[in-house]
Amino acid sequence: MECVVEGIIETQHVEALEILLHGLCGAPKELLKIHEFCLRSGPNLGVVSSELRILCDLEQPKPTWTVRQVGGAMRGAGAEQLSVLVRSMLESKISKNGLRFFYILGYKLDHELLKVGFAFRFQKVVPITVTVTSVHKMLKLHATDEAVPVTPGIQLVEVTAPASADNYSEVVAAISSFSEYLAPLLHLSKPGVSAGVVPTAAAAAASLMSDGRGKTL
Amino acid sequence: MPVKWLLYWQPNAGITVNTQILTEISQCVESSINGVKDGRWKSTLIFYRPITRDQSSQNDYPKDLLGVSLPEQPDKYYFVLRSHRIVFEADSNIQSIMEKAQSYKARIALTFEGFQYQLGDFQLKVGKVALTAHAENLRGIAMEVEYLPLSSLDKSRQVLEDFVDILQEIVSSRSLPGHFTHIEPNFSEYSLTDHYSSQHTSLQYATVMTQLLTTLRN
Repeated sequence: MECVVEGIIETQHVEALEILLHGLCGAPKELLKIHEFCLRSGPNLGVVSSELRILCDLEQPKPTWTVRQVGGAMRGAGAEQLSVLVRSMLESKISKNGLRFFYILGYKLDHELLKVGFAFRFQKVVPITVTVTSVHKMLKLHATDEAVPVTPGIQLVEVTAPASADNYSEVVAAISSFSEYLAPLLHLSKPGVSAGVVPTAAAAAASLMSDGRGKTL
Repeated sequence: MPVKWLLYWQPNAGITVNTQILTEISQCVESSINGVKDGRWKSTLIFYRPITRDQSSQNDYPKDLLGVSLPEQPDKYYFVLRSHRIVFEADSNIQSIMEKAQSYKARIALTFEGFQYQLGDFQLKVGKVALTAHAENLRGIAMEVEYLPLSSLDKSRQVLEDFVDILQEIVSSRSLPGHFTHIEPNFSEYSLTDHYSSQHTSLQYATVMTQLLTTLRN
């Protein structure tokens, strides 16, 4: 299970966001370059059609592979009122022949993406991960070298934290309060409920840039 | 990782394997070659079948998906598809991912379990094969022979052959109705190198499983 919110930011303000995140985190950023293969079960396979994501971390000296299964969001009136999405999520490290394996099982490539950017990991009450990425699409199959941005000038910010049925409300609260730190630069909401860029971003970014880099807040 | 061979008991024609044979084999290891019992072991194999919304689509998807969990790698899980010559390794929670995806379903589970013995540079595991749901019913006998100093298949082949020959002689001196058989899979067909790994072990289990099922059907 995981709790997640996301938002978007103009590329010109990403540096300011990085300064802010670095200040909050204290630790250096991690670079990200993830090739994401979104697979869908073949015709008639499965009780219902299912989706799996195979992630290849290209930032590692030797690429590492992961399969991720994102399940449905938690339902009910209580979940509706939360400002954070709570959903099931399972991840497993896999061998490098994973893509071939799932193709043999009958999964088909639906689409692929390349996410390039950075991440900060926070040890708050719960471990929170913030990723800031530029999402690219491939013009040719698997051609990561020729990937082009899906939304030029706009980057995706995702804030996630692992959760369980016992502690999700605590995690939701931690993410909500964390989101407030970033509010001047971007608005974070449940995935699929984008609120666009925030009008204060330019002023907040200018202020952060002039305040000095890497200053711990 | 040290090289190991997985052997299975091939009963003589018309004979069914039974616990008496397993007891005698265990006695051979304990008293004839002085194997020191140092624990239990258990490996589990699960056959999966595709779930399709339409009966006619069954043939579109592989039917020989085998999942393997090994005691030496409790955090890992292996899938073998012999029809496609592939061994796939994942963290053990891949089983939950498969369950959630609801595209393949566990059909039949088998357990290999018994005792582990130390014998100088060798480690032996001797045990029964049974359906997990009917653990008391023995369906086969298996033995793992591991040569601890080497992880190269080629370099260890001679020493393992010699050791297994000695074991066969000792077992045959008891006039048991059958013998151990070792089938080495063609590892390179599965892109597995000479350097031994748990993926090799998984493939050996898949190979032995196929043999055992053939024996049971006959």
